[in-house]
Amino acid sequence: MIAKFFQKGVSRRKFLGTTASAAGLGLVGSTLPKRAFAADKTVKVGFLAPLTGPVAAWGKPGLDGCEIWAEWVNDAGGLEIGGETYAVEFVGYDNEYDPAKARAGATKLIREDGVKFIMMLGGDTWAGVERVADQTGMLFSTLLPSDLGPETTTLIAPAEVHPVYNVTGVEWMAEQHPDLKTAVICAQDDALGLPSVATYLAAFEAAGIEMQQEPLLFDPATTDFAPVVTKLISDNPDIVCLDTCYADYVHPIVEQLFQQGYEGQIISCTADFYDQMVEKTSKEFMEGFIFQFPDFDDPELNKDFINFKDPNKFFEVYNERHPGEWGAVSWEYASIMDLWAAAAQKAGSVEPDAVLEAMTADGSGKHAFGDADWWGEDLFGIDHALVGNWPVVRIEDGKARIMAYKSIPEWYDKHGELLKKHMADFGQMWNQRG
Amino acid sequence: MIELLAQTGLNALYAAAYMSLVAVGLVLIFGVMGVINFAHGELFMMGAYTVVALYTDFQMPYVLVVGLAVMFVGALGIFMEWSMFRPLRDNPLGGLVASIGFLMILQAAVSMGFGVRMEHVPPVTQEVIEFSDRVRLPVQRLVVILAAVVLLAALWAFLKKTRFGWALRASAQDREAAALQGISIRQTAQIAMFIGAGLAGVAGALTAPLISVNPHMGHSVIIAAFIVIIVGGIGSLEGAVIAAVIYAFVHTFVTTFYDGVVADIVGLSLMLLVLVVKPTGLFGTADRA
Repeated sequence: MIAKFFQKGVSRRKFLGTTASAAGLGLVGSTLPKRAFAADKTVKVGFLAPLTGPVAAWGKPGLDGCEIWAEWVNDAGGLEIGGETYAVEFVGYDNEYDPAKARAGATKLIREDGVKFIMMLGGDTWAGVERVADQTGMLFSTLLPSDLGPETTTLIAPAEVHPVYNVTGVEWMAEQHPDLKTAVICAQDDALGLPSVATYLAAFEAAGIEMQQEPLLFDPATTDFAPVVTKLISDNPDIVCLDTCYADYVHPIVEQLFQQGYEGQIISCTADFYDQMVEKTSKEFMEGFIFQFPDFDDPELNKDFINFKDPNKFFEVYNERHPGEWGAVSWEYASIMDLWAAAAQKAGSVEPDAVLEAMTADGSGKHAFGDADWWGEDLFGIDHALVGNWPVVRIEDGKARIMAYKSIPEWYDKHGELLKKHMADFGQMWNQRG
Repeated sequence: MIELLAQTGLNALYAAAYMSLVAVGLVLIFGVMGVINFAHGELFMMGAYTVVALYTDFQMPYVLVVGLAVMFVGALGIFMEWSMFRPLRDNPLGGLVASIGFLMILQAAVSMGFGVRMEHVPPVTQEVIEFSDRVRLPVQRLVVILAAVVLLAALWAFLKKTRFGWALRASAQDREAAALQGISIRQTAQIAMFIGAGLAGVAGALTAPLISVNPHMGHSVIIAAFIVIIVGGIGSLEGAVIAAVIYAFVHTFVTTFYDGVVADIVGLSLMLLVLVVKPTGLFGTADRA
């Protein structure tokens, strides 16, 4: 019970509020009406991601988003699949971004909970799960297509093509600011950081931007970023790139850039909780900060080609329930569920092989940011990444705004060889990963 | 290049300051009680979370909150002494194992109460002292440096000039002989735990606006602190301070001129080198080590 409570990541407000109201609820609980479900069956979906620890910001908000997704689906009567109606239930497991715990979690979710699909963050944790996927044939999803390889036949990357979409931010920045000619980059030395470094290096090279230093890799245990920032800005670069640093690193690095007097362009994969960075620095300092993940109240998300259902309402409900916790992954796992639900309905089955077949059969799918293609054999060894357009986001007057949607395949058609070269240099091609 | 060296020196001073506070507290507890307190990093974390709770959430004055953090974390130290270390005094590994359990309890309690994600601590001040365009010292970092100097000087005076300080030193040198002289071992243990934990707490509270505050933030701090006390000599307060300065400067300069991963390797190599050349550490003595 305690473990379950812990896994769900209780917030301070929830903890205090729940404690205060528990007695009252106990008194009246028996008189409350039971919630009625139209569904006659339940399909369980596993959520195997870091819910605690330094990478929790890319797990826990996703589960919170999924709970909203499930509530909307279930309140609407559930999913009609193969003539039966299913309610959807998420079963969370905190892998703490640890491969061994991810393996234990996958086994538990499949054997004990009977899930039909497992969503993961991926990265270091996929290595722990890969054998379980091979043995069981379970359908898994990852946010990191760098997990893909020719042998990962039941792994899909349907939400984001990390880190390849980072090229769109660099491409847009170079178009808008041709005066920016030099860059530096830092990243944590891990499975998230390295492929992203390779991608940014390719994007900078494609844009004619010169790297002033070798990429600065730091230990994920780093707490004081002053030395890192001192080195980064020692040659006065036009651009500081924060790669795919975790939020726990992006914030202190940005604060240090501010305190050490940096005045150039900052580009990053994510800027989770950017309002806190604005508070720690200033609106003026953060003006023009480029990253890749929009707030879902952005009017640009109401365009016809957007496939995510009612993004503005989703953002509103999410923020009501989890104020101040909106992050890069809050919507992503929910968008994967849209794809999964559509495929299950098309297949008339919740079984993993049938859903995968239905999802990828015609080579295209409805990605959150528009129709996209199953892609990736050239880069990942398998066409299991759903790739299309991706937004470029910039902070303007303290608020994230979508500046443009840029095509990832179009960039790759022009500069794919560069990306493969840098990926190979960092040992990140599918045939180099151990 | 001179500006880069100067800025790196200032960065190293800050790192040495907070690392000294943590390491000296750890050494004090070991010296008086003979316990390796694995929960020391979590006491650092509790100091930071006191700031989150009282300064961020309740908007109390920061200076007052730092003082309260010292008292609160110091009181936690007394609780640890009373509930774990005293009953397990005769068990050589008991205190160590109990402290590992306690660190997990603290992490779980903070995770449940505050959530698992990084906490935002608003800046206390955004003032920066500018020596030049590329040499700058944020005032919050200066406060950490000055506070460490003042607190460590006060601790030195306490240990050298007061009766309680003499009692602590006597207990650290020979517990049984100190008891025969009428010194209360229980009282000195409580004082040592209060001061040792309080130093970790004040380090956490002072650095909270500068770092990512999360339930697992104690891990990296305790690893660095162990390296420092091994290099300095387990049981030596002077050694802990000097080793903290050496470690901070080496780690910071290597990070700046090479990278952070190499800096970690160099830091551990430094510890191994000291262990090979002088197994008791730079200032350790054979009987305590």
